[in-house]
Amino acid sequence: MNELAYIPALPLLGFLVLALGGRRMSQKAVAITGAGSVCAAALLTMVLCGQFFGSGAVGAAAGHASPASVHYDLQLGQWFHAGALSISFGLRVDSLSLVFMFIITFVGALIHLYSTAFMRGDRDYARFFACMNLFVCAMLILVMADNLVLLYLGWEGVGLCSYLLIGFWYDSPANCLAANKAFIITRIGDTALLIGLFLLFKELATLDIAAILRQSPGHFRLGSPVITLIALLFLAGGMGKSAQLPLQTWLPDAMAGPSPVSALIHAATMVTAGVYLIARMHVLFQLSPLAMTVTAITGALTLLVAACSAMVQTDIKRILAYSTISQIGYMFLALGVGAYGAAIFHFFTHAFFKALLFLAAGAVIESLHHEHNIFRMGGLKDKLPVVYWTFLAGAASLAALPLVSAGFYSKEQILWYAWRAANGGTALWLAALAGAVITAFYSTRLLLVVFWGEAKTSVSSRPGRLITIPLIILAFLSLTAGFVEWPHNLLPVHLFSGFLQSVLPAPATRSGGETIGQLLAVMATLAGIGVGYQLYHRQPEIGIITRWQQRPLAAAIRNFLFGGWGFDRLYDTLFVRPLVSITRLNRADIFDQLYVAVVRAARTGHRLLSASQNGSLRWYAVGVLMGILFILTLLL
Amino acid sequence: MNELQFQALLPFIVLAAASILVILSIAFGRSHTFIQVAGFGMMCLVVLAMWLVRDALPREIAPLLVVDGLGALFTGLIIFSVLVIGLLSFIYFEEREENPKEYYILLFLATLGSAVLTISRHFISLFIGLELLSVSLYALIAYLRTRNNAVEAGMKYLMLAALSSAFLLFGMALIYLETGSMEFTGIARGLPSSGTPILFIMGMGFLLVAIGFKLALAPFHLWAADVYQGAPSPVTVFIATVSKTGVFAVLLRFAQAVHLQQYPAAMTIVVVISVASMIVGNLLALQQQNIKRLLAYSSIAHFGYLLVAFLPGDAAGAEAGFFYLLAYSITLLSAFGVITLLSTRQEDAGDLSGYRGLFWRDPVMGAVLAVALLSLAGIPLTAGFLGKFLVLGAGIGRQLWVPVIVLVLTSVIGLYFYLRVISTLFEKMPPAPARARPLHPFFYYATYAVLILLMGLSFWLGTFPRPAIREIEALLNIRLL
Repeated sequence: MNELAYIPALPLLGFLVLALGGRRMSQKAVAITGAGSVCAAALLTMVLCGQFFGSGAVGAAAGHASPASVHYDLQLGQWFHAGALSISFGLRVDSLSLVFMFIITFVGALIHLYSTAFMRGDRDYARFFACMNLFVCAMLILVMADNLVLLYLGWEGVGLCSYLLIGFWYDSPANCLAANKAFIITRIGDTALLIGLFLLFKELATLDIAAILRQSPGHFRLGSPVITLIALLFLAGGMGKSAQLPLQTWLPDAMAGPSPVSALIHAATMVTAGVYLIARMHVLFQLSPLAMTVTAITGALTLLVAACSAMVQTDIKRILAYSTISQIGYMFLALGVGAYGAAIFHFFTHAFFKALLFLAAGAVIESLHHEHNIFRMGGLKDKLPVVYWTFLAGAASLAALPLVSAGFYSKEQILWYAWRAANGGTALWLAALAGAVITAFYSTRLLLVVFWGEAKTSVSSRPGRLITIPLIILAFLSLTAGFVEWPHNLLPVHLFSGFLQSVLPAPATRSGGETIGQLLAVMATLAGIGVGYQLYHRQPEIGIITRWQQRPLAAAIRNFLFGGWGFDRLYDTLFVRPLVSITRLNRADIFDQLYVAVVRAARTGHRLLSASQNGSLRWYAVGVLMGILFILTLLL
Repeated sequence: MNELQFQALLPFIVLAAASILVILSIAFGRSHTFIQVAGFGMMCLVVLAMWLVRDALPREIAPLLVVDGLGALFTGLIIFSVLVIGLLSFIYFEEREENPKEYYILLFLATLGSAVLTISRHFISLFIGLELLSVSLYALIAYLRTRNNAVEAGMKYLMLAALSSAFLLFGMALIYLETGSMEFTGIARGLPSSGTPILFIMGMGFLLVAIGFKLALAPFHLWAADVYQGAPSPVTVFIATVSKTGVFAVLLRFAQAVHLQQYPAAMTIVVVISVASMIVGNLLALQQQNIKRLLAYSSIAHFGYLLVAFLPGDAAGAEAGFFYLLAYSITLLSAFGVITLLSTRQEDAGDLSGYRGLFWRDPVMGAVLAVALLSLAGIPLTAGFLGKFLVLGAGIGRQLWVPVIVLVLTSVIGLYFYLRVISTLFEKMPPAPARARPLHPFFYYATYAVLILLMGLSFWLGTFPRPAIREIEALLNIRLL
C-alpha cells in the first residue's frame, strides 16, 4: 500500500506550490491546485476504502472468528533517533483512521470546491488555499500516524492552520485576537497532552501506538494513579482541541474566520481531533474508570452548557459554533460511557450536517451583504430555495428528526448507551435528553428565523453552482448517512459498528428499555421542535418572547447564556488580570536596570578615557612613564 | 654560513633584494606601475623561496637567527599582508603623491625588519629588526608630507618609539647583567634554577614596555589613535598587521625560550596589561566617530585578547595566538581596503558619516566592511569568531579566569560599536551621484577582487578551520629542540 503516502502528500504538495508560487499564479490555477490536490486525495482515500472492504475487513468484522484488526502499515523513514527513542514517519491505517480520513478528504474536497467560488476575488486567494491544504495534510497526518509523536506533529499542525485561518482577514484586530485566543487556549490542552506523552514514554519506553495499546493492559493496574493521570492529561488535550468545558471559550470566537474554515476546521474535522485521540487511546481510558467518568461528565456538562448558549445567540455562526461544542459534548459523553463506536458514528454524521450548515450559513451571509444577525434575515425560503432546502436537511439532522435524518441514528445510539451502558446512568441520560430538547429547539429557531417570516434584508446575490452542488451532496448525506447503522430493535443493519469493531470494542450494556428510550428521544426532539415553532413562528400572535424580554430576571438569564455562561469573564478575572497586573508591576523591568547600569558605566569609562587622548605628546610620554612606574610597583 | 643555512635564509635575502631592486628601478626612472609589478613579483619570489626551502627547516644561523616553523609561519603572514598592502598602495599613492616610488623602498625595508623579528633569537637581531621596522615606519607615517596630521603623527611615533627603544635597551642590559648572555637560549641557561632573579624580572618589565608600545597595549597605547588616523591608510594597516605580527612573534619566541610562564611576577604584568588593554580599547572605541581611530582602539583591545592566548605559554596558546593574528590580519586588511578605496585625494575616508548607506551605494564594499566588522566583533561563521573561540579555549584550558571573563565581558561592549558602524552602512540615504570612473581600472578592480577574496577567506576560516589549524600545528612543531 504505497499509495497511502500520497494521501497526505498531495495536499502537502498543493501547500508547497501555493505557498511558494501562489502569488504569481492566476486565481484559476490556484483553485485547480488547491481544490484539485484535496479532491485527488479524496479519490485515493475512496480507492483505499474499496481495497479495505475488498480485503475482507468487513468479513472479519462481521463478528465471526478473530477480531484481529485489519490495517495497512507504511514506513516512510526515520524521523529522529535519541537514546532509546526512535521515531519514524510511519503511517498506519485501520478502520478508525479510515473513517476520519474519509471525512477529512471527502468533506474537505467538497469544502474546497465550495471555497473556490466562495473566496473568489479575495486578495489572498492563494494564501487561503495554501493554509487549507496544509490543514488537510496535518489533519491526515494526525489520524494516520502510527506513533504519538507524529500524531502530535499533526496535532500542532492543525492548531497552527486553525490559527492562520481564523486570523485570515488579519486587517481587523478582532480577528487577530480571536486567532490568538484560539491558539493560546488550545495550547493549554496541547501542553497537557505533551506531558501525557512524556509520562507514557517514561512508563512504557515507547510511543508507538500499537505497542502502547498492546502493552498497557499488562503494564498498568486497573485504576492505578499513573494511568489515571495519563488518561486525564490526554483528556485535557482533547478538551482543548475539541472545545470542551472548561476550555470551550475559543470556539465561538473562532468564527471570525471565513465560513469554509468554520465548516472544515471548526465543525467537521479539527475539533473532533480530541474524539479521535480518546478513541485511538481508548485502552488507556478503559484502564481508568475515573478518567472515563470524568470524560462522560465533561461531555454531558458541555453539551448542556453550550446548547443553552446556542438558544439565545443572534449571530448565525455563533449559534452553529455553540451547537458544535454541544454536539462534540455528545461524542465525549459516548466516549465516557465506553461507546466509542457511537461517538465515531456521531462524528461521522455530524461532519456532514454541520459542514452543511456552516456552508449554507456562509452562502446566506454572503447573499445578505455579510449580515450575521439572524433577526435581520428572514424570508429567505423563496429567494434562496436551494440553500433553504439543504439547510432544512442539515437542521433536521442536527435536531435529530426521527428516522429520516442521519443525526437521529447517531444521537439515538448515544442516548441509548448513556442510559444503558455499564458506565452510563440515568443522570447522564437525562442530561443528554435535555440536550436533545434544546438542540431541537434552537435548530427550529434558527431555521424559522432565518428562512421564514418576513424579509428584512434584500438579497444581493445568489450562490452559484460551485456553492450549491457541495450543499446538495452534503444535504443528501445528512439525511441518508445514518442508514448504515440502525437501532438494535428496528433493523439488523450494523454496518458502521461492524466496520469499527475490529478497533473499538462495543460496550457492555444492560438490556431492556430500548423502545421506551427511543420513544422518549423522539418525543424530546418533537417537543423541542414544537416549542420552537410555537415561540418563533407564532410569535407575533402570542408574543411570549417580547414579554420575557421585559422581565429583568429573564433578560439577565438571557444575557448570562448569551455571554457563554460568563466563562470569558471568569478567566479574565482569574488568570488574565492577575498576570497583567504582575507584568505591570515589573513594567520598568528590574533586570533591565542592571543593563542600564552597564551602559552607563561604559559611557562614563569612555568619557574618562577619551580625556586621556588629548593629542599632546608630552602627555603621551607621561603616560608611558606612568605605565613603567606601575609595572615597577607591581614587581617590588 | 654553509649552503643549507643560506638556503633557509633565502626568502629573507630575496626580501632584502626587493628594496634594492626598487632603488635601482627608481634610479633608472621606471614608472610607478613597473615598480608595483616588480614589487609584486619580488614578494611572489619570496613566497616561492619559502616554498622551496620548507624542507631545509629548522635551521640555525648562529648566533643571531633561527629559521624554524614559527618563523616561517609568521613570515608567511607578513608577506601575505604586504602583498595586499602593496596592491592597496598603488591606487592610494598614485592619485595623491607625485612621487610615490620611494614609498616602496620603505615598505619593503619595514617588511624586512618585521620578518627579521620573527626569526631572531638574539637581542642584537631583535634590536636590528625592530629599528629597521621603526625607522622605516617614521618615514612611512609621514610620507604624505603635505598633510599636517601625517607629519605630526610621524613625529609623535618617532619620539615615543625612541623612548620605548631606550627602555628596550635598558631592559636588555639588565637581563644581560643577570644572565651574561644576549642569546635567548643562553639567557635561559644563565637563569638561576630556583628563586626569583630580580634583575631579570626587572629587565623583563622594561622589555614588556617596549613590546607593549609596539603592540599598542594599554597603558602604552596613547599614540595609536593619532598615528592610525594621521598615517596614510595603507601604512596604517601595515602598522596594525605587519609590524605587530613581527613583534608578537619575537615575544612568543622569547617567552618560549626563557619559559617566561614560570615567573608569576612577569605573568602578573602581562595579565594586567592584557586586561587593561581589553577594557581601555573597547571603552575608547565606544562612541568614536572616526573609523580609523575606531579601528585603532579596536586593535588595542584585540591585542589584549591576543595576550590571553600568550599567557598559557603552551602549544594550544601559540596555535590560538597565530590563528587569531591570521583572522585579525585578514579582517583588518579588508576593512582598510575599503577605507583606501573610499578615500579621496584630499583626505582619508575616516569620518563615519561618509559611510552612511554605503551598502546601498556599493553593495560589495558595504558587504566586505560589514563582514570585516562582524569578524572583529567575533560573530560566528567568520574567522574572528573562531580565533576568539580558540583564544578562549586556550585561556580556559589553563584556568586563567580573570582575563577570560574580562575578554567575554569586553567583547559584549565591543559588539556595540561594531554594530553601530554596521547599522550606519545600512542606513537608507538618497541616491548619491554616480561615482567618476576609476582612474586605474585594472588596479581598482584587482583591489575589489582581493577584497572579495579576503571576505571569502574570512568565511572559509570561520566555517572550515580544520585544514588551516592542522597546518599551523604542523608548522609550529618544526622547531629546534
